[in-house]
Amino acid sequence: MASEWKNFEPVLIPDIANLRNIDVYLDNGGYEALKAVLGSEWTPSSVIGEVKAANIRGRGGAGFNAGLKWSFMPEPDGKPRYLACNGDESEPGTFKDRKLFEFNPHLFIEGALIAAYAMQCTTIYLYIRGEYIDWIHMMDRALQQAYDKGFIGENILGSDFSVDFYTHSGAGAYICGEETSMLESLEGKRGYPRVKPPFPAQNGLWGRPTTINNIETLANVPLVINKGADWFTSIGARNHPGSILYGISGQVNRPGVYELPSGVPILDLIHEVAGGVRNGKKLKAVIPGGSSTPVLRGDKLEGVTMDSDSLREAGSMLGTAGLVVMDEDTDMVDVLWRIAHFYHHESCGQCTPCREGTGWLEKVLLKIKNGEGEIRDLDLLLDVTTQMEGRTICALADAAAWPVRHTINRFRDEFEARCKRSTFATA
Amino acid sequence: MPEVYIDGERYEFEGKPKLLQFILDQGLEVPYFCYHPSMSIPANCRQCMVKVGQPVRDRETGEFELDENGDRVIRWFPKLQTSCSIDVTDGMVVKTQESDELVRRAQKDNLEFILINHPLDCPICDQAGECPLQIQTYKYGPEGSRFEVKKVHKPKRVQLGPRVVLDAERCINCTRCTRFVDEVSKTHQLTITKRGDSNYPITAPGETFDDPYSLNTVDLCPVGALTSADFRFRARVWEMNQTPSIDITNGKGCNIDLWTRDNLVLRITPRHNPHVNDWWMPDKGREANRLFNENRISRPSVKIDGESQVKSSWNNAIETFVEHIESVKPEEILLIGSPHASVEENYLLTKLGNLMGWGTPHFTPHLNEGSGDGFLITDDQAPNTQGIRLLGLSENDNDQLAKRISDSGISCVIILNDALIDRNVLTEDLFDDTCLIYFGTNENKTSQSADLVFPITCVAEHAASYVNVDGRIQRSFPAKETKYSNRRLNLEMSEGRLDRYGTKFDNWVTEDNKVDCLPAWDLFALIGMRMGLDIEYEMGGREVMDEIGRKVPSFEGVSYEQMDDESGIALNIDSKKVKSKN
Repeated sequence: MASEWKNFEPVLIPDIANLRNIDVYLDNGGYEALKAVLGSEWTPSSVIGEVKAANIRGRGGAGFNAGLKWSFMPEPDGKPRYLACNGDESEPGTFKDRKLFEFNPHLFIEGALIAAYAMQCTTIYLYIRGEYIDWIHMMDRALQQAYDKGFIGENILGSDFSVDFYTHSGAGAYICGEETSMLESLEGKRGYPRVKPPFPAQNGLWGRPTTINNIETLANVPLVINKGADWFTSIGARNHPGSILYGISGQVNRPGVYELPSGVPILDLIHEVAGGVRNGKKLKAVIPGGSSTPVLRGDKLEGVTMDSDSLREAGSMLGTAGLVVMDEDTDMVDVLWRIAHFYHHESCGQCTPCREGTGWLEKVLLKIKNGEGEIRDLDLLLDVTTQMEGRTICALADAAAWPVRHTINRFRDEFEARCKRSTFATA
Repeated sequence: MPEVYIDGERYEFEGKPKLLQFILDQGLEVPYFCYHPSMSIPANCRQCMVKVGQPVRDRETGEFELDENGDRVIRWFPKLQTSCSIDVTDGMVVKTQESDELVRRAQKDNLEFILINHPLDCPICDQAGECPLQIQTYKYGPEGSRFEVKKVHKPKRVQLGPRVVLDAERCINCTRCTRFVDEVSKTHQLTITKRGDSNYPITAPGETFDDPYSLNTVDLCPVGALTSADFRFRARVWEMNQTPSIDITNGKGCNIDLWTRDNLVLRITPRHNPHVNDWWMPDKGREANRLFNENRISRPSVKIDGESQVKSSWNNAIETFVEHIESVKPEEILLIGSPHASVEENYLLTKLGNLMGWGTPHFTPHLNEGSGDGFLITDDQAPNTQGIRLLGLSENDNDQLAKRISDSGISCVIILNDALIDRNVLTEDLFDDTCLIYFGTNENKTSQSADLVFPITCVAEHAASYVNVDGRIQRSFPAKETKYSNRRLNLEMSEGRLDRYGTKFDNWVTEDNKVDCLPAWDLFALIGMRMGLDIEYEMGGREVMDEIGRKVPSFEGVSYEQMDDESGIALNIDSKKVKSKN
């Protein structure tokens, strides 16, 4: 995957003017996949089979095979079943779904409809974070257009498949991007993650089978139906095929969302795609996939590519592919405190280790940031992350613990420099 | 039979129990806070972590794979599991804090987390002494805390409702209270507000927490965050004696504990009985401690010249009783039993009536139509209506009873502990020319209208049985001493916790709060003796119940021993009704 990415033509957000308008979308082959799927050649199970073969790995961060997830839904029993589309997108450094809502909403809508057909869902919910109020309106308009054209509603395109599609606004909680607390939020309850098992496929919205997919994951589905699983798996990294919406932010010359195949070398992304570090400064660190993924040192990025395997080897994760680039002037203590502050603010408070641990981490980091910390505080922080990790219902505690642990381990000299001299040393 | 190995011991199980409940049922221990057997399982306190594994089976043969030592190969779950939420499965291997260092470590870590924002104010906290957090911290917690930064501050002394006060800083967010109002009382009056370490339970703005079951949240609260407005700061738990009893404020007969100190009932809490009230009781039943402490009739009273009552000696009162009785014909005497009195007391009244030729006692049920909620609050306001029906007392509606007194040449009425004037069944003017003799526990208009008043023991002072609306007979234990009883001599009475010198806390009692009253069986024996009858029961209520078990068909074989073993006995009330119809 040296430089093939340079010839890649975007498929999720192609460069077509006014694609958000349903007529333009139809002119460019829109809703053909839905028509095909509702025709006689496809069955729900063959759709699931094709998507499974395409190995679309969930773009929300966990990277689970979407088709496989769909296949967990039990047999239809005539009662409601749900597809919940996760557009909460609240991970700091992530802003890719917004791009889809704005530039290619119908691709996502079509994908969601195909997914609903494959799983025989009766209702689709689109959960969008409340801060995206303009984009919620955009999606409402797009959905109305699709309703008007008969792509959503009763007996879609003359078939016996009927589905309703609603948008639902979040109210400012990061935790509602976690799939089960999103379900609680959709039910009108406080966004507390649920204990698994039972998994949503058995016991989801209002106790009914439910599948939760990321927006970008669903947007890939029509492409797989139109062009086949083989085409999809030929793009990008073998274990994580397809194109990815890379959200690049931070101290680069051209921040933004770029659609490129998976497995692009991370340095190419920063230096060529995003135009390099601002003001010609040196690269210090990169968070590769949203704030919860461990930070990588800028001097250890040679050969690292944006796919799950390579990033795992490098000691991080692909996450949501929201890169945050930091230059040599960045104060890592400040960065880490800000991240810890975020997780402290967003912990839902349900599980003890996360509720108490996130606050503890932030308070100790603030102490270090203010120059009042001691070196033993760094070891305390590492201890607290161990106490939090893997002991809670959802992954928020892990997401709060990893950045602390890895940032301290990878930039320990900076943290130590901010700590007070040990009292033993001065004595 | 499927099996599970816990800390190396083999146990058999049936059905699909949750691991924590199964462990507790075996008499083993794993610390926990949020779990409650009668509510949903949120697994949010994360305290009951254990290590869980499954034996590896050969895919083809289904046999267990064995290692070189011949032991089963165990595949451990990658993370520790909360035992409250995981099902026990066949062959499961569990390591608790007793046998695994990692589990011990995780539980200690979790307690450290819980305590970083929890005020360490146990010396002034009402929960101290019965606090799961305190107990489990001593058992499983870290030795100290490494938390050196500022704790989170939250509202203190929040009056959530008329009966419950919140200290939000002590809250550990187990959500037991919010689950209780959602799942048990179903009023949904509490919710968790805010996020992360600033969250705490509260009502919606402007709402009050006036749930009729609100005080159960105080019992549920594993820390001192929710306290009873009535009981807080009144006593330390270890100074009180805990005595099992029965709620007498309505017909359900909730099983309760009376908490006494210096012969005052300071608080009432529910006692678990899956057949009656599960773990709960209505708030109203908890206010009954006032009935036991305040406004008690102490020493007999005699009315002089038809005007005012004066206190009298027991001998004089019994002589006065005999004078009243002997001045009228037996058929001019009307006995009124009481659904508020126990089976034993009503039985003895009936027995006395039969021996003296006064006829069968009458009674009026004490109903408040529409006040029941189908859960633990009943229309029936009395604890023993079914019991006296089964004893065969004659049932009257309100008007019938008054008419019986005014019309049929009655000149002396004997009432057993029922405030009939106060509840507007009878009127005071009925007794202008008719003599009223009252055996009662509390002062009220009825006792004040009486020509002769005998104080008798209340449910907190004697062992006696009550039959609830569903026909379940259950009994009380003496919790308070009277002038004539002694905690040291009465084996039925509970004993206090030991202080650090090994002295029982209930040593320090005064005479102030002892009521001068007698159990009905002792009093009737004295009266009987004066009138030449031998109706003495040396063993008190226990012996009376044995006699009832022999003589009254509906109570056949009922004894205190059986009631104690089975936490009450379901009597067959339906077949009785069928019989009477036929």
